[in-house]
Amino acid sequence: MPPTPEEHPNKAAFLLRVRSALGRTDPIVHMPDHPSLKSNAVRQQEKVRTIVARNEARRSSALDRLARTAAAASWNVRRAGDAEEAASIVAEIAQQSGVKNLVRSAEDVFKRVNIDAALRSVGVSPAILASGRSRSRGALRDMAFRADMGVTGVSYAIAETASCAVTPRKGVARLASLAPPRLVLLIEPEQVLETLDDFFAITRLNRMQARGRTINYFNFISGPSRTADIEQTLTIGVHGPGEVHMVILG
Amino acid sequence: MAEVKSAEFKKASGRALRDEKLQHSLEHVMEHFVGARASVIENDFGDENWEAMRTRAAAIKQSTLEHLDYYLDMVDRSVRRNGGHVYFADDAAQANAIVLDIAKRNGVKTVIKSKSMVSEEMGINHILEREGIEPVETDLGEYIIQLAGETPFHIIAPAMHKTRQEVSALFQEWLKTAPTQDIKRLCVYARDALREKFAAADMGISGANFVVAETGTVCLVTNEGNGRMTTSAPRIHVVLAGMEKIVPAVEDLALFLRLLPRSATGQRITSYNTFVGGPRAPSDEDGPEEFHLVLVDNGRLNLLRDEVMREALRCIRCGACLNHCPVYRKIGGHAYGWVYSGPIGAIVTPPMTNMKVARDLPYASTLCGTCKDVCPVKIDIPRLLLHLRHKVAEGALGERSTTWMERLFVGQWHGAMRNRKALEGKANLGRLLTRPFARGGKVRKLPFAPMVSGWTASRDFPAPAPRSFARLWREELAHDNAHPNGTEQG
Repeated sequence: MPPTPEEHPNKAAFLLRVRSALGRTDPIVHMPDHPSLKSNAVRQQEKVRTIVARNEARRSSALDRLARTAAAASWNVRRAGDAEEAASIVAEIAQQSGVKNLVRSAEDVFKRVNIDAALRSVGVSPAILASGRSRSRGALRDMAFRADMGVTGVSYAIAETASCAVTPRKGVARLASLAPPRLVLLIEPEQVLETLDDFFAITRLNRMQARGRTINYFNFISGPSRTADIEQTLTIGVHGPGEVHMVILG
Repeated sequence: MAEVKSAEFKKASGRALRDEKLQHSLEHVMEHFVGARASVIENDFGDENWEAMRTRAAAIKQSTLEHLDYYLDMVDRSVRRNGGHVYFADDAAQANAIVLDIAKRNGVKTVIKSKSMVSEEMGINHILEREGIEPVETDLGEYIIQLAGETPFHIIAPAMHKTRQEVSALFQEWLKTAPTQDIKRLCVYARDALREKFAAADMGISGANFVVAETGTVCLVTNEGNGRMTTSAPRIHVVLAGMEKIVPAVEDLALFLRLLPRSATGQRITSYNTFVGGPRAPSDEDGPEEFHLVLVDNGRLNLLRDEVMREALRCIRCGACLNHCPVYRKIGGHAYGWVYSGPIGAIVTPPMTNMKVARDLPYASTLCGTCKDVCPVKIDIPRLLLHLRHKVAEGALGERSTTWMERLFVGQWHGAMRNRKALEGKANLGRLLTRPFARGGKVRKLPFAPMVSGWTASRDFPAPAPRSFARLWREELAHDNAHPNGTEQG
C-alpha cells in the first residue's frame, strides 16, 4: 500500500465555512440516515447472496435481455454455443475486417477460449498488450494506438443497459479496450447481471472486503464511441472504438 | 475566474434573436433532445416510475447537501485512503493555483482536458497558457469552441451553434487540414490531431459527474471516450469537482446513471462511464501514477447559505431545463454571459458571481414551469427565480431596482385592484389613452421615450377592447343570463 497522502491545510477552515453556511456550529458525529450507507459487510453479503441467486435462476432470460439491449445500443452481438465457436467468431471478425495488428489482454477467459489458435489459422497473430519487462509506458501506448483490433474479457455485463464492466489490472491494460478502432468483448454467462443495482451492490461488497487491495479504476463500455457535436449528426468512433462486438458464450 | 458578462444580457439576447441561422439550429437541436428524452422515459419507465425516481434522487441530493461538511470529510478520507491527493479550494484563484502547482512540480508541458464545467468557471486554460503550458480540450465540441476562442453554448452540446463549414474553416486554420463538408471526415481530423496530444500529454484534467463519498470514486459520463483517454494515457490525473457533486454511496449511482443520460440526450446510458478513485496500482499495465481531486467552492457557499436557494446545488448538469426553456430556445447560451445558461444558469449565476452584474438573469423566464417538471432532481426553478427577483426588487443590492414610473404605475395598480370602481375607472383611462396608438387590434408603438415607449420596443400590445367586459356584462350578458335554465342564479 502506498502511504496515505496528507490532509490539505485548507480542509478544516473549508469544512467550518460549509458547516456555518448550514447553520450548525458542531461537526456531525453520527452518520446521517441514508439507506445505501447503512448496511454493514455482513448485511451487504446477505444482499449480494440474494442477488447472485436471482441472477443464477434467471440466467437465460438475462442473456436474452442483454443480447436485445446490446443490439439496440449498436453492439454487434454474436452468441456462441461453446468456447470453440466463440474463438472462431473472433477469428471471423478479424478476418472480415482485414485486421493486421491485433492486441488482447492476458486474462483467464483466454484459457477457456483459445482465440490465439483460431486467429493464427486465419493468418492473424495476436499480441498481448502488457507492459512486461522491457515495454515502457510510451511503448505500450504506441502499440495500443497502432493496433486495429482489441480483444478483452469483462468483469460483468449488465443486461439493463448493455454495459460491460471492464476492470484494468495486471494483464488488462486500460488502452486495450480503448485505443483500437475495433473492440471485441468476450462475455461468459455467469458474468451477466440483470440490473445496475445488482452491479453496484456487488461493487460495494467487494470494496468492503478488499482490505487494502482497493480497485481504483473501472469502466462501463455500453456501445461504440460516439459524438453528435457537429450539427447534431451522430458520428461513430471518435476517441474510442467505433465498431464494438459482444461475443456471448451461451 | 472566467469573466462575467451577464450585464450584457439584454443586448446579447437581441443579437441572438436577430441571427436567423442560430434560430434555426436552436429549434432543430432542442426539439431533437426533447423528443429523445420523452420517448426513452416512456419506453423504459413510464411517467409514474420516473416521478418516483426523481423524488428519490432529489431527496438523496438534498440530504447530502444538508450534511455536506460530513460528506466532504468522508470524500477526503476515502480518496486519500485510495492513495489520491485531495484539495479544498475556496475560489477559482485558489483552484487555479493548486493545479498550476501540480503541473509545475512535474514539469508538465501539455495538458489534455475532458469536459469540466468547473474548469470553465476557473478559466484555467488562460492561466495554463500564460505559464507556457498547452491545454487541449478533447471533447469534440469543447475542442471546437477552444479553437474558436468561445465559451460553451450549451452544457452538453457546447458547439451546437457551429455549422460544419465553420468547423471545417477552424480545422483548416489550426490543423492545416483540407476543407470538407463531411462530418465524419471532420471527426477523423480531430481524432488524429488529439491522438498526438494524448500521446504527448503529461497531465489529464477531468471534471466529475458524481463523487461517491464512501468509496472516493469519481464517476465520469461520456460518449466519445475522451474521458477514458484522459484518465488512462497521461502520468498525472487531476479531477476538478464542484463541492456539491457528492452522492453518499456507490449504490446511489444506479439511480443517477438512469436519470442523467435520459434527461440529457435521451440515451439509456452513455457509451462510457469511467469510475476512478485514485492512482493506478503498481501492478497495473497503464494509468496515471498520481491522482489529485480538487473540491471547489467558488461561490457555491452563497447558494448553500440561503435556505431557499440551497436546492439549486442538487443540479446534476443534464441540460434538460435548457432544452425545454422557451427563453433559452430563442436566445441560446451565450447571452447569459457566464458558464451556465438557461434556467439553471439564471438561478446559479447571480449568487455565484455578482448579483448586480447578473441582475437581469432571474427575469429571463416566463415562469412556465417546464424546467421544474423535467428536472431529474426536482429543483423548483420558478420558485428560485421569484426568490431572486424578490431580492433584486427589495433593494438587496443596496439600491432601488425600479424607476419612479414603475413605482407610480405599481402604486396605482395596487390601489385599483382593491377597489372595483377605481379599477374600472383606471381601465377606462387606459383605453382612452392608448386608443390613438391602436392599429388593427394592436398597439405597436407608444410615444414618450424611453419610459413609456420602452414597453413596445420589442413587443406589441393587444389593443384594449372598445368596451370592457364589465360593461358588456352590465349591458348585455347579465340580462341574457338572468334566467339561463329557468332558475335564478343571483
